[in-house]
Amino acid sequence: MISDHDFQRIEKYLYEIPSTFREDMRVPARFYADPKLLEGVLGDKSLEQLVNTATLPGAIKYALAMPDIHQGYGFPIGGVLATELPDGIISPGGVGYDINCGVRLLATHLEQKEVDPHLDDLASALYANCPSGVGKGGHINLKKGELDQLMESGANWALNRGYATDVDLERTEENGCLNGADAKKVSQRAKERGRGQVGTLGAGNHFIEVDVVSDVFEETAAQRIGLFPGQIAVQIHCGSRGLGHQVCSDYVKRFQKSIHQYGLNLPDRELVCAPLSSPEGQDYLAAMEAAANYAFANRQVLTYHIRRSFEAVLAGKVNNHNVYQIYDIAHNMAKVETHEIDGRKINVCVHRKGATRAFGPGSDVLPPVYRDIGQPVLVPGSMGTASWVLLGTQDSMAQTFGSTCHGAGRTLSRKKAKKTVHGASLRQKLEAEGIRVRAGSMSGLAEEAPIAYKDVNRVVEVVHGAGIAKKVAKLIPLAVIKG
Amino acid sequence: MVDDNYIGFKEIEHTADYALQIQGRNFEELLVNAAHGMNSLMVAISAQIKKNVDLEAVDAESLLVEWLSELAYWAEAEMLVFKTFDLQKVVPTQVQATLFGGKTQKLVKHIKAVTYHNLKIVKTDRGLEATVVFDV
Repeated sequence: MISDHDFQRIEKYLYEIPSTFREDMRVPARFYADPKLLEGVLGDKSLEQLVNTATLPGAIKYALAMPDIHQGYGFPIGGVLATELPDGIISPGGVGYDINCGVRLLATHLEQKEVDPHLDDLASALYANCPSGVGKGGHINLKKGELDQLMESGANWALNRGYATDVDLERTEENGCLNGADAKKVSQRAKERGRGQVGTLGAGNHFIEVDVVSDVFEETAAQRIGLFPGQIAVQIHCGSRGLGHQVCSDYVKRFQKSIHQYGLNLPDRELVCAPLSSPEGQDYLAAMEAAANYAFANRQVLTYHIRRSFEAVLAGKVNNHNVYQIYDIAHNMAKVETHEIDGRKINVCVHRKGATRAFGPGSDVLPPVYRDIGQPVLVPGSMGTASWVLLGTQDSMAQTFGSTCHGAGRTLSRKKAKKTVHGASLRQKLEAEGIRVRAGSMSGLAEEAPIAYKDVNRVVEVVHGAGIAKKVAKLIPLAVIKG
Repeated sequence: MVDDNYIGFKEIEHTADYALQIQGRNFEELLVNAAHGMNSLMVAISAQIKKNVDLEAVDAESLLVEWLSELAYWAEAEMLVFKTFDLQKVVPTQVQATLFGGKTQKLVKHIKAVTYHNLKIVKTDRGLEATVVFDV
């Protein structure tokens, strides 16, 4: 286990494990924390996993972890690694099984007092209209060949099918479509898993949440984004479902075979990787982008279901039940980006596993509406606790390859959470606090209990204090929909 | 120390996901116990449906991942969970088997994927042991 003798504090919220710590490290490992979060980090194997990522070929500058770091498999959750192109590696395990798991924030023109009388009906309508839970299929029958089209056009597929607006796409990372996606690189089994799941939430930590904006910290930015105190908003947290899981499994398996030909010696087989320039690396990137596009389409169809739920419950009862998009952002992804490193502009492959892109003002990949303020960053809290809207900064570009935290981060194992918390009692407790809960599984609910997570407010204070994102608004939950 | 209650698999702590420590007197038993262990996370079922599988992998650890991934696939795709495993051929790089199981209405746990995280099949006094981490 790594102990506090093995690293040094180099800034108020930044710690470094030097590359001399282990012979196979190519770069130092850095992580963001405060003293309290640090205690949690030292309680599991997340720092060993971070050090392991620092050994990967092509790693540049340092391996990073955000303050919501926790133990995963291969990469830690909260990990960021940039590899220098053309020959730096790409690692399916550095993206994770749920490719383009991400968060979408929708907002309304409604204030809490207008929605409060209808909140029970709204929660029930969302639960009924947005398929959730293990094995639940979606409402969409894809025609022959349409899944391939969906994987190659992402949210554009949803737009053509009438499930999206132009503004939705404009306010989605990459406009909801990664152009290198190639459906031919996705296995038949992955397609079988994904075919019936478009527009479904799944289970685990995925959710839809109705929130109210409780605090605004940057008024001008909040106005530009379209947020105001007392406003009703909705978050979606989900990803590429079985299709993405299978793409990752397929390429982790394929890379196990090819690893020897590249002479790579890895501390953990889950870190298996290939040079991005290799045929295997290129195939994985194209398949990963196809799965990422599936996730963009998936969140878009869920958005459509959310809009029809608002319409069904609120039409005629409030002045304007329109639901509009704030932003949609991935937190499990590998992307080829250009970053300035030590005065040079370099093309790198940035792996973000449980970390969010957080580009600062001026980036030309941001939609015009956000270009001068920076990219909105969506940080959902644990169930029943606050969520945050942040903005990317120039410092995030300089310090973290334009990355920041993605959530609260787990601190208790699922097994322990279930031992500590009873699902039905948790539901009662949340309901007593005024939070409506619609969930398919009580044991699943217990696993996601707030006690199992770090304090998201503390995580956000660290990224804000370190300058790798800045606070704009805080959201408080009113209704939670889970599988 | 021998644990009399050890029935071939046991759940161990993992912060984000699920992990099982699996034992078997030989590789064949390790595969069967791993399957029982993963299924115990998902549901209890009958054994009316039969399926034949023939899986190959580069080594024994990969085959264990492949074997469990196959079972996780049927659980997600058709809500089909197996309880009896007739293994006709088992070598470190191939397994041929007939699986018997049944459909379920609901899975208690969704196994998204079987990972290679720190996966190593090791020899112990009692046979073989491996710890498998599942993405859930």
